[in-house]
Amino acid sequence: MTLEQIRALLPLIILVGAAVAIMLGLAVRRNHAFTVAVAVGSLAAAILSLALGPTVATPITPLLRLDGFSVFFSGLILAASLFVAVLSHGYWNRRRTVISEEFYILLLLAAAGSVTLTMAVHFASFFLGLEILSGSLYAMIAYERDRQAAVEAGIKYLVLAGGSSAVLLFGMALVYARTGTLDMAAAAAKLAGALDVLTLAGVAMILVGIGFKLALAPFHLWAADVYEGAPAPTAAYAATVSKGAIFALLVRLAAAMDIQSNPPFQATLAAAAVITMFAGNLLALRQSNLKRLLAYSSIAHMGYLLVAFLAAGTLGRTAVGFYLAAYIITTLGVFAVMIVLSGTERDADRLEDYIGLSRAHPLLAAVFAGMLLSLAGLPLTAGFVGKFYLLAAGVGAHLWVLVAALVISSTISLFYYLRFIAAAYAQPAAPPALPAAVAMPRLARLAIAVLVILLLWLGVYPAAVIRAIQEAVAIGR
Amino acid sequence: MRLTGKMPVPQKEKMNATFYISAAVAVLSTILVIVSRRAVHALLYFIVSLLAVAAMFYVMGAPFVAMLQVIIYAGAIMVLFLFVMMMINLGVDVRGPEQAWLRPSRLAGPAVLAGVLVAELVYVLAAGWKHSAAPVEVPPEQVGLAAFGPYVLGVELASLLLLAGLVGTYHLARGRREDKSPKEEQPR
Repeated sequence: MTLEQIRALLPLIILVGAAVAIMLGLAVRRNHAFTVAVAVGSLAAAILSLALGPTVATPITPLLRLDGFSVFFSGLILAASLFVAVLSHGYWNRRRTVISEEFYILLLLAAAGSVTLTMAVHFASFFLGLEILSGSLYAMIAYERDRQAAVEAGIKYLVLAGGSSAVLLFGMALVYARTGTLDMAAAAAKLAGALDVLTLAGVAMILVGIGFKLALAPFHLWAADVYEGAPAPTAAYAATVSKGAIFALLVRLAAAMDIQSNPPFQATLAAAAVITMFAGNLLALRQSNLKRLLAYSSIAHMGYLLVAFLAAGTLGRTAVGFYLAAYIITTLGVFAVMIVLSGTERDADRLEDYIGLSRAHPLLAAVFAGMLLSLAGLPLTAGFVGKFYLLAAGVGAHLWVLVAALVISSTISLFYYLRFIAAAYAQPAAPPALPAAVAMPRLARLAIAVLVILLLWLGVYPAAVIRAIQEAVAIGR
Repeated sequence: MRLTGKMPVPQKEKMNATFYISAAVAVLSTILVIVSRRAVHALLYFIVSLLAVAAMFYVMGAPFVAMLQVIIYAGAIMVLFLFVMMMINLGVDVRGPEQAWLRPSRLAGPAVLAGVLVAELVYVLAAGWKHSAAPVEVPPEQVGLAAFGPYVLGVELASLLLLAGLVGTYHLARGRREDKSPKEEQPR
């Protein structure tokens, strides 16, 4: 391996080194604050090493490849992981009975798996990255193992993710049986667009596996239960990092295999997108549990993303990149509010917990409202510009049905976001269900402030970011 | 040892048949793992299932992987499972039922399936080592050269996967913090 390749691998090396260092350090002495510092420091160092890394596309063995595409998505994933790590600190500090340090090891490993996914150009690294990510997520979901709901959610995710991995693997085996290679580009070249029954089934099974992990519509049933049972930081992680990494992989795989221009896949994915958008939004309508609502809303957002994904081309990929960034910032923002409000016993995920929030914490209520409005796609927020780009991509590719579905279903979504905003600004009839959270940790405050700045920046002046994304996805092939 | 396409057709078909028989044994025993009501019975079928997969690898010309499958999975990991089951002592009350679970009639199923595999193995060995169903046989050094040459990062990534599993299992098995005092003051 050359020096240049090691330089390109540096983010992964830093993350894994920090995970091992924390693990060995725990044998000597446990200290929550120090563990968080190491985790956050290593994530920041990994981001820095990405920024200072090679500027030309660097293949690293047949398995991985660092190019503009992976730099952009890895940066997004690492930044989101960093926010989750910072927010977890205050959250676990309040849960005294839970041993919290291992959470950061798992978080760093999951981030390493996600970074692998964004760099993967080979089915082996694709599968390994996915398994590292889900393997860490199982334990992160069931982390509070004294709570029955958490263990139940962990087992549900374990069984369903295991099943979907089996389907994925079977699909890869079928593609391998026909092409004799596991390299994505080489396999695509051998197939050359002409798919017979065997490879058609293979690629379809791979897409089903990915669809499961993204909770696309016929495979979305696990999401709400898992998010509800998982501790809030894990739910935030699963909704942002895990989805972002897998979507990045889907875009790369599709670019290599040219999936969007293949009529059967185009039709099925378009149908899946429409069902996903409506299923997510309609199921969210009656939710009074914020975690379940965010689960369904994340399903709907994956459906929106599919529109830009199907539009393909540079515009489509730019829209995917920008929308994912906006979605991750916004979702993290909502979860951040939930995490700082969560008490010692349970998470602040009920509608009642937010009634009268504007009285107790006016600023926090404003942030909460802003983030939800961005999820709904209202102007001045990142979500608006993101949705605008999705529509532009969809219209540019003449996907009229999808564009109509996007507009109608995101109008529906306004209802349930506004319901929570209205609760936050309502007069509390009774004393609040949760005692007003004790002084917010300074780090969490800083994290929320940064998220708000990013939200407004992307919403008001997105040009610089969009240019950066355009460059990143242009080299993406 | 490359034997591309030199095998007479009937023999090749016979070898394919051995592959399908062991595949059927694997599927059948895995289903029985899932539907078994007692953990011990499930475990016995699981061992058979792993051995059947090993037989599939062997017939497909990957003797090294077949060997690993037997040593690591059917050997080490399953023995570990058995130990755990023996250590979770349920007390005197279950001694009666426990003896019933291990009645010879209960062992007939796994024994028959394992017998099929043994018969296959004997047949394959008697027919001659070279007649594998796959056109190419993959010797151990080739596996090693691939795993630690171009795909060395794959091995490293697999180790990360194991690390994640290890840390997760450790945490979930460990339980809760007993004290209620602030965390920072409690070195362990």
